[in-house]
Amino acid sequence: MATEINVNGAATSSDWQDRYYHVDQILDRPGPRTDPSFLAGDEVKDFLRNKCKILVIGAGGLGCEILANLALTGFKDIHLIDMDTIDISNLNRQFLFRPADVGRPKAIVAAEYVMKRVPGVQVTPYYGKIQDKGDDYYLQFNLVICGLDSVEARRWINATLVNLVDPENPESLKPLIDGGTEGFKGQARVILPTVSSCYECSLDMLNKPTTFPICTIANTPRLPEHCIEWASVLEWPRARGDEKLDTDDPEHIGWLYSIAVARAKEFKIEGVTWSLTQGVVKNVIPAIASTNAIIAASCCNEAFKIATSSAAYLNNYFMLIGTEGVYSYTFEHEKRDHCPVCGGEALEMPISRDWTVEQLIELLTEKQNIQIKKPSLATPGKPIYFQQPPQLEEATRPNLEKKVLELVPDGGEVVVTASTLPFSLSLIITYI
Amino acid sequence: MSSQDSQDIETATTAIESAPDTKTRRYDRQLRLWAATGQSALESSRVLLISGSATSTSILKNLVLPGIGHFTILDHAKVSHSDAGNNFFLEGYNSIGKSRAEEAVQLLGELNDSVEGRADTRTLGSILKAHPEWITSFTIVIAHNLDHTLLNELSALLWKDAKYPPLVVVRSAGFLADFYIQFHEHTIIESHSEISPSLRIDKPFPALREHALSLEFDKMDSTEHGHIPYVVILVRALEDWKKSHGGSLPKSYEERQQFKKGVLALKVKGDEENFDEAETQAYRCWTETKVPSEITALFSDPALFIEAMDSNQSPFFHLLAALKEYTEQCDTHTLPLTSTLPDMKSDTHNYIHLQRLYKTRAEEERQVFKSYLRVPVDDAMVDSFVKNAHALVVLRGKPWGTFDEDKAALGESLSTMPKETCIHLALSALSLLQAGDTSVSPSAESIRAKIQSIVGQYTELPDEADDAIGEIARAPFSELPNTAAFLGGMVAQEVIKMITKQYVPVRGYCVIDLIETCTGTIGA
Ligand SMILES: [Zn+2]
Repeated sequence: MATEINVNGAATSSDWQDRYYHVDQILDRPGPRTDPSFLAGDEVKDFLRNKCKILVIGAGGLGCEILANLALTGFKDIHLIDMDTIDISNLNRQFLFRPADVGRPKAIVAAEYVMKRVPGVQVTPYYGKIQDKGDDYYLQFNLVICGLDSVEARRWINATLVNLVDPENPESLKPLIDGGTEGFKGQARVILPTVSSCYECSLDMLNKPTTFPICTIANTPRLPEHCIEWASVLEWPRARGDEKLDTDDPEHIGWLYSIAVARAKEFKIEGVTWSLTQGVVKNVIPAIASTNAIIAASCCNEAFKIATSSAAYLNNYFMLIGTEGVYSYTFEHEKRDHCPVCGGEALEMPISRDWTVEQLIELLTEKQNIQIKKPSLATPGKPIYFQQPPQLEEATRPNLEKKVLELVPDGGEVVVTASTLPFSLSLIITYI
Repeated sequence: MSSQDSQDIETATTAIESAPDTKTRRYDRQLRLWAATGQSALESSRVLLISGSATSTSILKNLVLPGIGHFTILDHAKVSHSDAGNNFFLEGYNSIGKSRAEEAVQLLGELNDSVEGRADTRTLGSILKAHPEWITSFTIVIAHNLDHTLLNELSALLWKDAKYPPLVVVRSAGFLADFYIQFHEHTIIESHSEISPSLRIDKPFPALREHALSLEFDKMDSTEHGHIPYVVILVRALEDWKKSHGGSLPKSYEERQQFKKGVLALKVKGDEENFDEAETQAYRCWTETKVPSEITALFSDPALFIEAMDSNQSPFFHLLAALKEYTEQCDTHTLPLTSTLPDMKSDTHNYIHLQRLYKTRAEEERQVFKSYLRVPVDDAMVDSFVKNAHALVVLRGKPWGTFDEDKAALGESLSTMPKETCIHLALSALSLLQAGDTSVSPSAESIRAKIQSIVGQYTELPDEADDAIGEIARAPFSELPNTAAFLGGMVAQEVIKMITKQYVPVRGYCVIDLIETCTGTIGA
């Protein structure tokens, strides 16, 4: 038995006998659906346990689960990025954290915990943003798993990994496994950048976030949500000036709640509660341990199958709805022709001859397959409208009222960029 | 408005809550799914897990985190080298040789201080013989990869009495798994259906009808005209239509198009969105409000027979009996009205007024409904029942294992869902081949022969059988960490639905294939 135990009881890099008894049954022989290229035995185990380097993005509800699963499966070199600190509302599902950890960085606490519980696993945490890291950083990994709740961050990592692909160098293609949950629903998917459908390709599958028109909030409130929006969007800046609204600060939520209650009373609207106030201003998404467990397990299972070739991996989208029975749907999501990230072709955009630049910007913000929050526009030669820096914004602001037709010829190209996204979108403008 | 009404509004809109306590903050993200009622059901539940395997602890983790009241792990095994490698709720190498139940209870307990955990190191066999009442005292019992003979004894015990706890049978090997919930009867009021109840535009209650008829559209100023809620527009337009069409509704496609055009023609300005909304919602005028067929079907449930009602019947069936009588007696033959009005283009005054009409009427109908109740039922439950009357669910289950004894059903299932059925049968075959000796490593041939004996010699196995058999033969003892975690989530989710009696649990055998990453349900 090749076990070496050091003084404090943690096993060293050599594993105890039968540690991987369960996983080894899979790695020692192929199954009926295993690809013939699978080389059962020591080589694949050596790759998994000593060579494979995996990046986990997000140490929240999915991240905690992902980390524990990867460690038990035999991944030994795990890197972890998360920019958040632990909040008490995380404790109903983020099982690597305890009440005493509230306020500490998730990445650090999660890494410490997993290394303590699963000896011999190295978890390297980074407490910060994914955008802090460059191509060289991402190039070092064999696989990337994402357990994020932010659409922006997902679009960023997706575009970054697609841009990383160098056709001359197969190593530059980093499979991206992405999971997401909401209540009893969730999805897991495998993205092979440039080969299969990417995150951007499926942007139109996202639910449109609920928004309330300002005129309803200001003049004709009907729902408790309208009163809450009134408190946070209109009253907060009016009464609290430049103070930044912190949706995690109970004093701030309490203030909004009392303002919303007063507003509701004035209009005889029922149903403003503390919980609803918090839900509306923070855009709270229900989250439970069980759904996260299912989705995280499925992400890690794909990582295991890709890293070892011991079985075919998901092609390429698994969707789960657990509200009524267990309903799941596994399908191949197809690449989108005009995907600005992996499609390469310009998107044709027919607009009216009367449209102003401002109207075009509004369309880009709202259109389901584009959803760019603060787009900057340029023709290949010169800027049309830039959100920043301030000097350029001021210089291009007069263009907002101009007709697009005055600036772009029929069939002309407009390049759309945004500071939050590492890619640009090319539009071919035609007039109708 | 009466003074009673204004008082209600006063109390409904001015009660100020203080900031939520620690517990509410901790559970915030789940309370948004199952609310305080679901949470309190969880907190009073007692869960028994048979075995401290990686799958069992994964299931428990997802029940301890949301806050069940109590769990017991029944397991007499000591931690093996392989357990220490694949179970996150053991201290790795340091746990080897110690009690698996005790080690796991310790680490699971750290997840949530308010949950009580116990380790029991007796054998199931001895308890089944000497203290079956100990097993039946739990809220729900979960068994993972339990020996075939013991499982049969356990499921037979728990099936003996309808009041005994449900049993969740979980089986896995390698990338394949299935699970089944054995229960007699499961009733659900809060099914969280995504279907909303009828607004009864086609059968307006008197106050709504009067209100719609009292409005003089043509005398309104443009602001007011642009804020009439679509419900009112439709009720009015439908009344006018009936007047000019001998009392009948728009029937043919042409008539319906004509009705819609008529609605749009009421606009005084092009941008009146409330009329656009009325046009898109016009289908509500000819979608007759009646008792949904799923609910009518419940009215012939055997539990409603007089003899059954005389006995100690649950409040659910008393409420259902009252509902049946209500729908028979009321002149619209509909379910009681609910007061939930969706948002619509309108202003505060018009919307709130309409909301109050619905609320008042709903309260009146609720009182009538209550008068049909033969036994006292808690008010909150009555409210919830009426609010969810359009989406009530009654499930009736079968004992574990009956599917595998029904050759016709298996044959049918093999042709309609071959992949899932083969996985299920391969797991059944493995369990049979290992009965009495779980160290048996069966060959693909012996698994195939066993499956053939389950389905009968005249049923031909589909091609998918090779995939399932091959995977089971490849890894008959393998409890993969990812499969365990996946099952941990799936089973915990269904257990939560069973305990809270909210949402709808899975019926039949839920089969999981983590090679193709898909799930399916058979044998319902
Ligand atoms: Zn794409």
